[in-house]
Amino acid sequence: MRVWQPLSDKIMHRLIEFIKRIYIVLLFLLIEGVALWCYATATPYTESKILARTSALGKSVSGAINDTRNFMSLPEQNSELTKRVAQLEEEIERRDIAIRELTHADDHKPIVDSIDSKFLYHPAHVVSLTSNRLRNYIIVDRGTEDGIYENMGVITPTKELVGTVVSCSESYSVVMPMLNTRYKIGGRLVDNDYVCSIFWEGESRYEVLAVEISKYAEPKSGMVINVVSDRMPHDVKIGEVESCKLNASKTAYSAVVKIAADMQRLGDLLIVENRDETELFNLMSTIQE
Amino acid sequence: MFKNLSYLWMAIAIMLVQIFLLDELSIAMWLRPMIFPLVVILLQMEWRTIWALLISVLVGVTMDVALGGAGLYTATIVPLAMLRRWILFLTTRRSIEQGDQTSLLSRLSRGQLMGYTVTMLAIHHTMFFVMEALSLSHPFLLLATIISSTLLSTAIAWPIIRLFTLKIVTK
Repeated sequence: MRVWQPLSDKIMHRLIEFIKRIYIVLLFLLIEGVALWCYATATPYTESKILARTSALGKSVSGAINDTRNFMSLPEQNSELTKRVAQLEEEIERRDIAIRELTHADDHKPIVDSIDSKFLYHPAHVVSLTSNRLRNYIIVDRGTEDGIYENMGVITPTKELVGTVVSCSESYSVVMPMLNTRYKIGGRLVDNDYVCSIFWEGESRYEVLAVEISKYAEPKSGMVINVVSDRMPHDVKIGEVESCKLNASKTAYSAVVKIAADMQRLGDLLIVENRDETELFNLMSTIQE
Repeated sequence: MFKNLSYLWMAIAIMLVQIFLLDELSIAMWLRPMIFPLVVILLQMEWRTIWALLISVLVGVTMDVALGGAGLYTATIVPLAMLRRWILFLTTRRSIEQGDQTSLLSRLSRGQLMGYTVTMLAIHHTMFFVMEALSLSHPFLLLATIISSTLLSTAIAWPIIRLFTLKIVTK
């Protein structure tokens, strides 16, 4: 306390000396300020004029301060942007992983179709396949343990028809592809919605036949044919019409269809599960009875 | 004492002339002579600044009350009290020195006195007319008002200044 007392006295003394030195300036500023305030508030004209001037001055000063502040905060903003870029990179990576899971079948979990949520997609990978026989088959590495069962549709990741599951073990399933003379499925001309039957005659490994196309459908080369089946979504592509002709009785067309999927280069597949399959099966059973 | 009293009468006379004569003149919009700053301009340089400041406030408030300046006269005359020594040095290169026996104003030549007076009146008139207009929308009219009023004020003030320096300051 005794140490601080002389120190505070010294500071006070210096402060008084400083005020003594500048008191005239302080008094001048005070008098000038009062006089200007009186003048500024004397009439509405002077008030508005001075207010406008001071506002403009204030704006320019605050603008300069803001500019300086923005400039000084650039490193911080850069840091924030870098963090944001890192987050987006991570997001892209997560999406890439999701796509890889979809295509490489590394995960056993089914993926729900975001557009048509009644379908689930089970990623699968081809274990073996044949393509040079009349009755070709494909074996994939997913079985009943993975929720796979008979009559499920099989497509490529780009939604092109491959075939149908015909048999399942615990870990594997057998798929009957389009290149099997026993295989049949419904098709639909995308341009005009006329339906047809699709099957393989056992000739070219790149083509199937579309028959019973209505004569009013007027199929043309290049028309796209999609699947009509309760086992898979209706936007799954079978192929494109290559050529067509009227039958002898001129009541229907038959067309040669170029298969969309490359049946000899199959790797990653999606097995499609219709969650309403049981309900549909029961419904069909009642009709058959 | 006699000198100070003479100075007081001179100051009162100048303010009365300003209030009852010059301010009533309506020569032209751009010609408005003002000689009341002489009260501060002719203050003894040897006087302390605080006295000059207080006298300038007194003059300014009196003019504001008498002429309805609402603070404008005070706001424009008070800076003269603060600046007068610097202006004198800038215009005449003369300043107060230790041991001076006579007033600094009495030792100035006519030219130096004229330069000092014109500069002080020009500063006052510039501040006054700019603050009165509060706008630069007519800059040439403003400039003409400042220059012509300063010249006329100097012309009116010069005999008073000569009389003052000869009869009062040099006594």
